[in-house]
Amino acid sequence: MSALLEIQNLRVTFNTRHGPVTALDSVSLQVNAGETLGVVGESGCGKSITALSVMGLIPSPPGRIAGGAIRLAGEDLTRVSEARMRALRGAEMAMIFQEPMTSLNPVFTVGDQIAEAIMLHQKVGHAQAFRDAVALLDRVGIPSPERRARDYPHQLSGGMRQRVMIAMAVSCRPKVLIADEPTTALDVTVQAQIFDLLNEIQRDFGAAIILITHDMGAISEMADRVAVMYAGRVIEQASADDVLDHPQHPYTRGLISCIPALGKGDTELREIPGVVPPLHMLGAGCAFAERCAHRFDRCDTEKPSLVDHGHHPAACHAVEEGRI
Amino acid sequence: MTVLLDVQDLTVQFALPRQGLFGPRPVLEAVRQVSFTLEQGRALGIVGESGSGKTTAAMATIRLVEAASGKVIFQGEDLLQLDAEAMRQRRRDVQLIFQDPYSSLNPRARVADIVREPMDLMEIGTPEERRARVTELFRLVGLRPDQLSLFPHQFSGGQRQRISIARALTTNPKLLVCDEPVSALDVAIQAQILNLLARLKTELGLSYLFISHDLGVVRHVCDDVAVMYLGKIVEMAPREALFDAPQHPYTQALLSAAPSLARRKSRGYVRPVKISGDPPSPINPPKGCAFAERCPKAQEVCRRVQPVLEPRGPTQVACHFPG
Amino acid sequence: MTEAVDFKPESPAREAWRMFRRNIPALAGVVVLTIIVAATLWGTFFYDGNPYRIVWAPHEAPGMTPDFPLGTDYLGRDIFAGLIAGGGPTLAVGAAAAAITMVIGVSLGALAGFYGGWIDNLLMRITEFFQVLPTLLFAMVLVTLFSPTLTTIALAIGIVSWPQTARLTRAEVMKIKELEYVTAARAIGARNRRIIWTVILPNAAPPLIVSATLTIGVAILFEAGLSFLGLGDPNTMSWGLMIGTNRAYILEAWWPVTFPGLAIFLTVFSVSLIGDGLNDAFNPKLRER
Repeated sequence: MSALLEIQNLRVTFNTRHGPVTALDSVSLQVNAGETLGVVGESGCGKSITALSVMGLIPSPPGRIAGGAIRLAGEDLTRVSEARMRALRGAEMAMIFQEPMTSLNPVFTVGDQIAEAIMLHQKVGHAQAFRDAVALLDRVGIPSPERRARDYPHQLSGGMRQRVMIAMAVSCRPKVLIADEPTTALDVTVQAQIFDLLNEIQRDFGAAIILITHDMGAISEMADRVAVMYAGRVIEQASADDVLDHPQHPYTRGLISCIPALGKGDTELREIPGVVPPLHMLGAGCAFAERCAHRFDRCDTEKPSLVDHGHHPAACHAVEEGRI
Repeated sequence: MTVLLDVQDLTVQFALPRQGLFGPRPVLEAVRQVSFTLEQGRALGIVGESGSGKTTAAMATIRLVEAASGKVIFQGEDLLQLDAEAMRQRRRDVQLIFQDPYSSLNPRARVADIVREPMDLMEIGTPEERRARVTELFRLVGLRPDQLSLFPHQFSGGQRQRISIARALTTNPKLLVCDEPVSALDVAIQAQILNLLARLKTELGLSYLFISHDLGVVRHVCDDVAVMYLGKIVEMAPREALFDAPQHPYTQALLSAAPSLARRKSRGYVRPVKISGDPPSPINPPKGCAFAERCPKAQEVCRRVQPVLEPRGPTQVACHFPG
Repeated sequence: MTEAVDFKPESPAREAWRMFRRNIPALAGVVVLTIIVAATLWGTFFYDGNPYRIVWAPHEAPGMTPDFPLGTDYLGRDIFAGLIAGGGPTLAVGAAAAAITMVIGVSLGALAGFYGGWIDNLLMRITEFFQVLPTLLFAMVLVTLFSPTLTTIALAIGIVSWPQTARLTRAEVMKIKELEYVTAARAIGARNRRIIWTVILPNAAPPLIVSATLTIGVAILFEAGLSFLGLGDPNTMSWGLMIGTNRAYILEAWWPVTFPGLAIFLTVFSVSLIGDGLNDAFNPKLRER
């Protein structure tokens, strides 16, 4: 079975004052219907650029898709017209952003905004669309939805606004739902509610979810499969259990062991030294080499590719040669 | 153990804009009768969600926010009673690390000047001694002395937080208030800063008042933990007691809401405690327990009578039905 | 391993200059303004002429006589000499008025923004009072009440233009005082005066510098306007005065009005190009490009 959404060798470049830099380099990902793919990494690793590429929302210029393909149910999104892309966006794939306040229009009621999104893709009148909007608000767990539909975004709490965003995103039953750090701006107890809601929505609608996050805990609770990104490349990809229980790449191992966990006490946290290198300073070798404890000469000269070295795919020479 | 800081019934109020031209001025009580003690060389974590008053309480403790009432006994002296000049002098003993390493350093000053400024203000040492101290501090927090003449924007987030820590340590303070010091940083960098703070605590015998929304971070750094909800402390306990046997339903909900590697989608996890809704507004706090409307255990008495902190084993908890 | 630093040390001012250098219109503005200033300062060394004396027949067209390249005015005075002599006072009034505007505006704005409360209320009511006055009329009253010397004119322009600067400063100060590095300064025991001077104002400087350059342009136009209405200093040559005195004959001779007008236009235009350039140079968002 071919995947619902398949990204193949995607390459995205940006023109900056340091010259053109490669923000995404041969990124390949697949998501099946009803499955959640977690994309995890630190800021600047390219996880948000991946999401924007799928939605066709890369700011261009300075950004540009320089190679590869993004296939949604077989259709290559890198080659379709802007008009077709507009028709797909919202209907076939939708996105939930980090900051629900700035993604909602402050001068319209939330009910009208959801209704608008419905009318954009379906041939229904405003009254019907508004009724659907109220039903959606009810579905995403907003109490007294008829009344809330007539509220403006600023009258809602952060958690409610994110629920509205989710209602709007799923209004046309998209096949793919991209959630870009959907809970970063929210409190812990509200975050838990949103995660639970996304999982329920997936069960009901059968949508594929791509969850962009920096939080391994969120990955554990939400994801079926995981792609770990670093400096514009996917460095490890497998089922969530494989990645969390048997991380292969030293970076993934570091990410998991540097989380101050609830169950642990005083022990010193394992750190990953240094910082992510700026994209314009990437050399010929592995981008992680600078920070890696297992670095050897090959790491400086040759970029490792994402290959299965026994357990599951990881892009690391040390893993390949059995050094770790 | 000597008590370094003893905060009693600290209350902070903010006046809100008048309603109408001559209407009453509503008052928001951000911190309501908060009391805690911090012993020399220990770290007290204050945990809570946004609007819980945790940052305001800490800021009022070191008088960066004006308190309405209460006492802050620091080394036997009530800070709230000091006049402006005496408080200015006290500031060498109480220092602060901020959440956002991007906005807490003056972008127009070189980092050496930023770290030296507290000594200039307090007139500590000769110019040579001050310079030497800055270099020493830079090494202490893991920065290179050849970076001294750079500007803040030339450092990464983690390095800026190190600079912020160096500045806070300049005057050899006894108490360090850390306001969400790692929440703006990437996880890998968080670990670096948390390890640094842990090392400095042991090496310099510092005491921390550590504000965070992240229970994992608090568990790693703090000896004692206070949980705040809507301006009040609802539970306070030594670390192990709080994490292993949380007494307040809110603490239990917080612990089960924090994303954890132990809960897997593949294994069909179920959150042990689920709560709905958002925290209520601090403008019109409920008459009874502030958590009642979200609490799975709430009874009629909870909406009527405000529970007070009472000891229960090693823990102090404000709940009618703890455990 | 310590974290790598991938830039060379560069101060914000130097970085702004690097940006400014790449801005061609702003550089052109600098060149033109430099030429104008140099001409008014040292022009008499190269071009000897008394702008007040009647030297030729009235309304001699430009280019007709090699001695008077820009022609003569209605009295037969040398226009080129007038341009050179009038530049200094014009620019001086502009600069002085801008300086007065900045001093009043920045200090009141900073006080109001920093202290807030009743101080802010009081200062803002005063500011609004000055803001609702019709500026040109008010300046005319001031100039007529006191004798129309260059000093009075500069003062009058300064007094009517500071409210805008005050509002801008207040907004900037209010924004910056909420930032954590200001709290950080308080936490290490800095006094208010030190916080205002060494922390807040340097960070508020970029928009204020830009506003100051633009104020110079506005002040020059203001002075020209007053002179045009006959309220300039009649004893000191200025570009505005030249336009004012010659305006009655504009249908007979275009040049006595056009050349000083052109000079004003070039000056104000280059000053605002510089202002725009500074604005971009201090804007960190543009720097990343």
